[in-house]
Amino acid sequence: MSTLLQLLLRSLETGGIYALAALGIIIIYRTSNITHFAQGSMGMFNTFVVTVLFATFGLPLWLATLGGMLSAIISGFLIDFAIIRRTQKVSPVAKQIITLGLIMIFTGVAPMLFGVDPLRLPKFFEAGSVEFFGASISYNGIFNIILGVALMLLLFYILQKTKIGLAIRTTASNESTARLMGVPTRKVTMFSWALAAMLGCLAGVMIAPVTSVTINLMDSVQVNALIACVLGGFQTFYGPILGAYLIGIGKNILVYYVSSVWGEQLLYLIILLFIVFRPQGLVGRKIVKKV
Amino acid sequence: MDKKLRGPVIINRIYQNSYVRYLLFGLVLGMLPAFLSVTGMNSSYIVNIGGVVIYSIVALGLNLLLGYSGLISLGTAGFMGLGSYIAGYVTATLELPFAACILLVILIPTLIGVLVGLVSLRISGLYLAIATLCVSEILRKTFEEFDMFTGGFSGLKAKYPVIFGIGLSREQTYVFLVVILVLVMMLTHNLVSGQMGRALHAMRGSEVAAQAMGVNILKYRLIAFALATAYAALGGALYIHFIKYSYPAVWTLSMSLNILAVVVVGGLRSIYGTVLGALVVFAVPDLILKRIPVIGSINGISYIFNGILIILIIMLYPQGLAKLVNDIKALVVRLLRKGDVKRD
Repeated sequence: MSTLLQLLLRSLETGGIYALAALGIIIIYRTSNITHFAQGSMGMFNTFVVTVLFATFGLPLWLATLGGMLSAIISGFLIDFAIIRRTQKVSPVAKQIITLGLIMIFTGVAPMLFGVDPLRLPKFFEAGSVEFFGASISYNGIFNIILGVALMLLLFYILQKTKIGLAIRTTASNESTARLMGVPTRKVTMFSWALAAMLGCLAGVMIAPVTSVTINLMDSVQVNALIACVLGGFQTFYGPILGAYLIGIGKNILVYYVSSVWGEQLLYLIILLFIVFRPQGLVGRKIVKKV
Repeated sequence: MDKKLRGPVIINRIYQNSYVRYLLFGLVLGMLPAFLSVTGMNSSYIVNIGGVVIYSIVALGLNLLLGYSGLISLGTAGFMGLGSYIAGYVTATLELPFAACILLVILIPTLIGVLVGLVSLRISGLYLAIATLCVSEILRKTFEEFDMFTGGFSGLKAKYPVIFGIGLSREQTYVFLVVILVLVMMLTHNLVSGQMGRALHAMRGSEVAAQAMGVNILKYRLIAFALATAYAALGGALYIHFIKYSYPAVWTLSMSLNILAVVVVGGLRSIYGTVLGALVVFAVPDLILKRIPVIGSINGISYIFNGILIILIIMLYPQGLAKLVNDIKALVVRLLRKGDVKRD
């Protein structure tokens, strides 16, 4: 029982990281109609900013993270301003390739600015753990879980209750109608790119202490976040988050109880079969094709 | 007058034949090693251009899928990796001849490709893309863990191919790659100009209308997926015998995205465009950008330029480089005509 609890707690931590990244992807998908393959690369870049601010300039970690947020906002604004709003007439597939170009730019800029050596980023709480019904979890783990959940609650509050949230939801549901109704869709798109970059940066800062900060930092987060979006369905904002936590839990449980070698493959296979039988995802409505 | 014209007309007619064009194209591409040794240029260019040839083969398969059938796949890297591991295992470990490896390489991944084709009947668009990404990730994890066959993280090595008892050198392998590319281009040309091409066009336009006209959707989707996987696996097999190694870190999402970029940058439904796209995506950083003095020596700058280049091409020429080439051709023809008029 205590092992299961331990696994679940750890899953909540990894699932939270995937969920933050997935939320960024879904916000971009809904407002700009782009599959955001560069979410991981942008997160990687801004995590590098945090690491350099912390290690080279000696700022405290929370201040360095704020610096990373700032650079995330700037990079999001820049991308939207320089590229995304100029590609209204480009086909959806070609738009995905634009995010590939972004990946190349970020993976090129990162070693140029920050060097090629892997860097280390410490946890928010270096030591200490707490016993919880026989399962132990570090302070940092608790912090990550709570931060992830709190951020998501905050975002849903913003999406559902505030004016900017209403604007985002309107833009997501139909961009051209929203513009006709006087919603400043350009500002909304710009805001969503900054928001997605911030979420990616946070996911990067959370996962960085587990590995080292290199240009491949977010590769697996990117893949899992994309799969989470499909598992949850692209039509709602909360579906991908559900999917992300499920992937986190499923991965840990399958790797521990079934097979440490084949666990992950099994999980992806199950997800694949699930998508085949329920193409709209966990919480999506079935899309009716019109002739 | 008549006699004078006949010669050029025949030449023109021969030149208009698409097979002759493919052969000429292959001839020019195949002359590269000789050209490099005559001019005394760095012979390592062969590795870059050989890579472009391999990626062109793979991208032609994806172009059949994306361009002609409108189905998007992000599983290319997985299938390419699968092809490379099967080929490496068959020739290096089992020591079977190269021809056997090519047969197996086409057979096994194609079966998996057909299964994925079945999946595509249920889902489409972005969902299909990420479902195929799932398949690719399953394959990549298997490459990492199944080290009995794949050598795990450290990867698998292979030698240049031995064909009918003759071991090829690097330059000869390059020529062999070009021969395969020309064959694949001809095959693709035949496939898409025939009944299948029309069926795929109809399917992409409207599934329901195509079905009403008697196009068997199941059959053609499976064929399209089988072909795309077969091309990818063939490319993988050539990759391991030309680059001489294969390890899991190569076959990631970014490889699939790169191949997708080749198709989109080169132009959907364009055979020569695909090769041009492969040149831009895979060779421009190594061949041109890294050789520029000062700028080229800065770490990572070639990636940045290539990213910007790809974004610019898509922003300015959403239909791809093939359209750009056509536009330039039209411009040249117009200028020539203007010259004629003035002379009169």
